[in-house]
Amino acid sequence: MMWQRTQTSGTWKDIAKAIMYRFLSRTVCAARSSSVIVYESCALPTKCEKAAAPVFRVVKGGGVNTLSTSSVRICEKKNDDVPSNQDEKTTADKEDGPTETGSTKMANQTEEPVVLMAEDGSTVQQQADVKTEQVEEKQTQVNADVPKSGKESLLDLLGAMKVEVTNKRRLKNLKVKQNSESLPEYKSKPADMESTISMFQKATEEASSPSETLDPTLVAAASAAAATLPNSNQAESELLRQLRQRKAITEAQKKGDMNNLGEIITGMKVGKKQNQQNARPFNPIRFDDDGRGYTHDRRLTAKLVGVRKRTNLLLGKRLNIFSASTEDDAAESTAAQPTLWDMEFANNLSQVTDHTPRNGLEEMIQWTKEGKMWQYPVDNEAGLEEEASVPFHEHVFLEKHLEEGFPRQGPVRHFMELVVIGLSKNPYLTVQQKKEHISWFRDYFHQNEEILKKDDAYLS
Amino acid sequence: MAAPGRHVGHYIQRNGRFLLCNIDQVLGHRSFGCTTAVRQQAAEANKESAESIVIPRKKTWSKEAVLEALASTVGRDSTAYSYQFQDDPYLSPRTAVEFKLYSLSQESGRSAAKYFVNSNPKFFTKDFAEPHIPCLMPETVSLCLEEVSEEALKERINLRKVTAAVDMYDQLVQAGTAVSLETTHGLLDLISLYCDRDPVEDEGPQTEDTESKDPKKKKGNYRRASDFLKFSWKENNNAERIFNLLPERDTRCYSALIRGMVKHGAYAKAFSMYTDMLNNRLTADVHIFNALISAAPEVREKYNEKWELITELLKQMNEQKIRPNLLTFNYVLKALRRCGFLAKTQSLHTLSEMKALGIAPTLASYDHVLAVFHRSGSSGPNGVDILQEVVAELAETNFTCQDPHDVMFFANAIRVCLDNKDLELAYKVHSLIEFGENYRLLGDPFHQSVYYGRFFNLLCMMEHVDVVLKWYKRIIPSLYYPNPQGMKDLLQALDTDSRLDLLPSIWKDIKSFGHDNKPDVVEDLLSLMTRDNHSAEVQESFAACALDIKSAFDLNLTSRLEWTNSSLSHVTMLLLRANQTKSAWEMLPLFKSNNRVPSDDLMNSFLSLCHTDGTSQKAVELVQMSAAFCLPTTPQLAKRALAEFDLTEEQRAILSELEAAGGEPSD
Repeated sequence: MMWQRTQTSGTWKDIAKAIMYRFLSRTVCAARSSSVIVYESCALPTKCEKAAAPVFRVVKGGGVNTLSTSSVRICEKKNDDVPSNQDEKTTADKEDGPTETGSTKMANQTEEPVVLMAEDGSTVQQQADVKTEQVEEKQTQVNADVPKSGKESLLDLLGAMKVEVTNKRRLKNLKVKQNSESLPEYKSKPADMESTISMFQKATEEASSPSETLDPTLVAAASAAAATLPNSNQAESELLRQLRQRKAITEAQKKGDMNNLGEIITGMKVGKKQNQQNARPFNPIRFDDDGRGYTHDRRLTAKLVGVRKRTNLLLGKRLNIFSASTEDDAAESTAAQPTLWDMEFANNLSQVTDHTPRNGLEEMIQWTKEGKMWQYPVDNEAGLEEEASVPFHEHVFLEKHLEEGFPRQGPVRHFMELVVIGLSKNPYLTVQQKKEHISWFRDYFHQNEEILKKDDAYLS
Repeated sequence: MAAPGRHVGHYIQRNGRFLLCNIDQVLGHRSFGCTTAVRQQAAEANKESAESIVIPRKKTWSKEAVLEALASTVGRDSTAYSYQFQDDPYLSPRTAVEFKLYSLSQESGRSAAKYFVNSNPKFFTKDFAEPHIPCLMPETVSLCLEEVSEEALKERINLRKVTAAVDMYDQLVQAGTAVSLETTHGLLDLISLYCDRDPVEDEGPQTEDTESKDPKKKKGNYRRASDFLKFSWKENNNAERIFNLLPERDTRCYSALIRGMVKHGAYAKAFSMYTDMLNNRLTADVHIFNALISAAPEVREKYNEKWELITELLKQMNEQKIRPNLLTFNYVLKALRRCGFLAKTQSLHTLSEMKALGIAPTLASYDHVLAVFHRSGSSGPNGVDILQEVVAELAETNFTCQDPHDVMFFANAIRVCLDNKDLELAYKVHSLIEFGENYRLLGDPFHQSVYYGRFFNLLCMMEHVDVVLKWYKRIIPSLYYPNPQGMKDLLQALDTDSRLDLLPSIWKDIKSFGHDNKPDVVEDLLSLMTRDNHSAEVQESFAACALDIKSAFDLNLTSRLEWTNSSLSHVTMLLLRANQTKSAWEMLPLFKSNNRVPSDDLMNSFLSLCHTDGTSQKAVELVQMSAAFCLPTTPQLAKRALAEFDLTEEQRAILSELEAAGGEPSD
């Protein structure tokens, strides 16, 4: 499972919520089974996110009974989700979709054979037995402890658990080592088989660690939860029973899924085969009463066929007459001016296609193209035909026009500077008009130079 | 503020080259028009050092950009009639015939106005528009230059006055004036294109100015291409005469003639012209090859000879370093349609060759390939595989029309789907059309109706009736006016999924499409309504519908619709089932007036009706009527009437007489 998790690490970030749920549920109601659910739900992101959300809410609600039932509900939901998701995946183009789920299922399937086939399988089995025994012991232990109940017991349990967990780790490492030692002996098997086995081993190696640590947590959590109820003993045993049941259900459904997957895979194979063999003449309902044949139901295999077939059109042989290296010629041919033939051809093209406008805006586009309509302003220079070629600084920097004809200083100069500033901010006049405006003042002051000079207003 | 900003952009763009060396100076300019924030940015850019500055290209918007953006937000309204009829709701076309009539009259009105304006420019001199709108002013269609000169010849060529141009050329040659090569090319093109004849448009007020590319005008004459086909290339026509008189001939001259010859059916002559050209040590151009390839299937008999000729031409093209274009390959593919067994492999090779040369196949190319792979008569999945690949390849592309043949694709593609009953593929093909503006490549209204007709036919055949009705609402009548066959298909679909309760509303549509005078449609509808018994409300609506159909019969005195035995009895039966006694009784005289005979079943139903109403007089009349029709069932009817009704002596006498009379001949 963990292996699968690493495979789908790309999608992990997208489903952080699901992980959150996993942590929360681990502390509250974590169990092996629930972790399984979560892992699978992680593999099938979107739907299970949805499924997880309500459950999470229920957990927050804190009702113990509702908790257990709801977790069962997840199982059910998951069961519903899985086939549909698989369908999605098989149809999707993602490579990791079908193959990955398929192979993980395969890993699950090969679980038992591996253990049996291993030469030292017996020891492993024994160890596994030991492990389960230990777990059971622990559970009983917990059961025994529980009557104390309350938060204190929970804390005690947690403290005890740590030790157990470390024990377990050691044990597991041992087992893994043994497994890896036994690995070379599998070499006689087919390569792919070997790879699945090793994958499985990795998977168990990684997956078993959280699921085993979860167990005591779960039990402790259950007892803690039960402690809040009046009849704590009974509640706790009910709770645990429910959890075990759920686990059983999960296992069963997991197997069921495998079967489903197997069916789907075989179904796919059948479809593909049919198509490859071209089993057409044998189809009884190919001919209808009107003489037109029915085609095969291509729905299932459409993608496969599409992928397979596309190659022969796209990658087929070519005539091999032309060489593709003469790109430079193409440019010069377009340089010539259009002949009558070209015009006729273009006319023909425009006639065969449908150019009727579908709405008022399209009609306006057409009118714009024909030049019948005033251009819709696409920038703030619409209608700027006259001034289009005049750069902006001609409009803004008008001081240069004061260079000649005006005094360098004095009230007239001051006045003119103000005029120029005013003009530079006026967007409604053309540059020519602005110049004329300035030159009008130039003339005016020239004409009245005498009076101004007399009043001493010209320069000072 | 934005305006100067844009100027800055403009300025910087123009001076982009100096920017690298004189960045400080430019920044100096720039800072005048910019906000402080921008200046800051500029300063940072300055720090980054000058070498890595990439000036973004100025984005120029076309003048339609805003309108296009707005138009893209408007979807198609499936409840409205086509936009071109929006101005006058009275002229909303309800049938295919009306659609054609109205759209053609709209076009002809436009053309007439244009013709009037162009032929009387002196009345239309006032220019109201400010600024000037050239396209609203009259165009010059008549000749202005009268003197004999090359300018006058050019004018005649531009106005496409073929005979006038030839006359002018002859006068020029006689006067000893040398005509420039360019003008000669134009003249030869003109003569070849129109096959030494003035274009037909010049003859009457239906004028279509061929030079104008006004797309609105195309509607009036979809079949224009065929106009040219009726002329055939004549031996020694003006084009050949002028060509032979030329002191020197170049490729363009040969090109004009060869294209003209191929266009007007002188295929063998075109090939000999080509050989002639090769003998003169000239190389051909791509147009010559295109023309020759399109003529190739005409000059060879056997399939492999045709193909050998085409490959030979292609090889020569390669030798002469002529780069083929899209049309070259489309002509090759088109020719392959007539190459029988060779076609399937070679067409795929040609497609690969196109792709190898970087020429994207268009719809026309795919249409030819489809035609090669699809034989409508044969069985088996013909063309489906190819179409599937083509559709997969074309998905999500915007098509532009590059070959006049492009518009044939969709109608043919949907035919492949229909022949193979492949609904899924049909949906894919349809999604191609619905993408972007691709619907424009459906072609003229005729091709559109062919396409939608086939699509609808396939839907009726293969799809559940609810989906069919959904499509029905979507495409009818905004895009497609179904023909009688289409309506019959729909009726069949309703029958298969037993949604016969919808028949009355379908009848309303049938009426509005003008199919209420098609006997087979009406008969189909009536028999479907009569076949089964339905709930009371449905029968009620059926009866109303039947009365409506009856009125259609009454109105259509002049049409093909006339009462048949089955239609009369169906209508009567429907009325009886809905207990519309009065109307049902009114039907009975119609049998007589139309020389039809009611069925026994019908008479028995009538008798039961009389019984429930308790009108013995009617019962007697009925039996008498039955006797008048000489029905064999008369004695049984009389017997039943005698047994079931409360009769007066007189009535009893009449009935027993009828019973006896009926009995006699049967004995």
